[in-house]
Amino acid sequence: MGIEVNGSLMQSYTICERQVWLMAHQIIPDQDHPYIEIGRIIDNTSYDRERKKLNFDNVVIDLVKNDKDNFLIGEVKKSSKAEKSARMQLLFYLYKLKQSGILAKGQLLFPEERKKVNVSLTDDAESEIIKAIDEITNIIHKEKAPVFIKIPYCKNCGYREFCLS
Amino acid sequence: MKKPIYIFSDGELKRKDNTLFFDNEKGRKYIPVENTSEIMLFGEVIINKRFLEFVSHSEIILHFFNHYGYYIGTYYPREHLNSGYMILKQAEYYNDKDKRLYIAKKFIEGAYKNMRHVLKYYQNRGKNLEDIICCIEELGETINSVISINELMAIEGNIRGAYYKAFDKILGNPDFKFGIRSKRPPKNSLNVLISFGNSLMYTLILSEIYKTHLDPRIGYLHSTNFRRFSLNLDVSEIFKPIIIDRVIFSVISKNIIKKDDFDGSAEGLILKEKAKKAFIEEYENKLMTTINHRSIGSNVSYCRLIRLELYKLEKHLMGEQEYTPFVAQW
Repeated sequence: MGIEVNGSLMQSYTICERQVWLMAHQIIPDQDHPYIEIGRIIDNTSYDRERKKLNFDNVVIDLVKNDKDNFLIGEVKKSSKAEKSARMQLLFYLYKLKQSGILAKGQLLFPEERKKVNVSLTDDAESEIIKAIDEITNIIHKEKAPVFIKIPYCKNCGYREFCLS
Repeated sequence: MKKPIYIFSDGELKRKDNTLFFDNEKGRKYIPVENTSEIMLFGEVIINKRFLEFVSHSEIILHFFNHYGYYIGTYYPREHLNSGYMILKQAEYYNDKDKRLYIAKKFIEGAYKNMRHVLKYYQNRGKNLEDIICCIEELGETINSVISINELMAIEGNIRGAYYKAFDKILGNPDFKFGIRSKRPPKNSLNVLISFGNSLMYTLILSEIYKTHLDPRIGYLHSTNFRRFSLNLDVSEIFKPIIIDRVIFSVISKNIIKKDDFDGSAEGLILKEKAKKAFIEEYENKLMTTINHRSIGSNVSYCRLIRLELYKLEKHLMGEQEYTPFVAQW
């Protein structure tokens, strides 16, 4: 199957393997789910002035700007609760950029919390990303979706009713 | 929660920038785009391409009904949830005779058990339905042993025939005699209500399918016909008894709809606009009624149960979990 790892798969990866598989098979979560709606609205309305979406490869970067001669990319999130997964997503973008010969810095943006977190692609982070890409590739090539395992994240997940029905 | 919008009057549906409104001599009514799941059009309505572009973008479906309240068709915007994987699975289960029959049987099993459930409810309230229940139970036991879709359809027809006989006993209202099931046009008031209610059910399930990864053109019980939708007809079988039939019993027994709510015309009976609205109100209330769902662990509305049913079907097609139809238990 010609599926490539992208940012949302990387984000899911630290949360739930089943979610990775479902997303990779375009079984996307319930779009009526309130959190998904809120996410969409925050993404559409925050940082309007500096907003520049960047598309390359299979990567969509929320925000790109120049910061004191540094190339800075930002990822907008509703809450810092899932900071680890957001961080992996951003590191993945930084890694993809690096492969294309672009060195950039990253910033996680939480407009609701007026909070920004700097992220940079260290050697350790890079090997973590390479390992993750490998494992994600394995998951999505499985014949069947990984079995459902109940975790705390299920409570607010857009796949909740799909998995539990 | 997104809601359907019903339009009964004549007028023009328009788009202005990124808003929608309905315009007629009585004034202008805005349609909240973010909160609208579908628009049900009963009146004479003028629309244009700009309007269709915007509803497609907003993922709002349009269902059209004619002057008599019969379903005409749907403007089903370009699929926004596309999973090649799921469509191939859906087709695989259609093409394999055994896999197809299994799913079709489950739909009929659900329909049968829910019909029986409705009858048992009225039996507990003192209606003499023993014979009919026995009869449909005997038929119901044979569902599992059939070897073709045609045989299955025949059993379903017999169960439904017996089930409809119970309507006169349940209602006990001479103004609403069942007679025989008649469609296009329905020949008496009760048949008008059944047809009207079933059309609402078909469109609601179609709207829910739109929000899943399933293709409504691939049905299992009703043969796939790429010119029209059939999966929604399949799934409707399960929900008609517990949603539509209960609404019919309630509008008649509460005197919400009476004999003079129907107009005779050359082409059959018409439910008056006021009565259509009353029926829909009762129907919407029914859909919003919640029940406690064991595996989800919270309250779920009847409307939501339909979506869950589609999810279960998706999981069956994915080879994850065998599909079992929803059966009412309360």
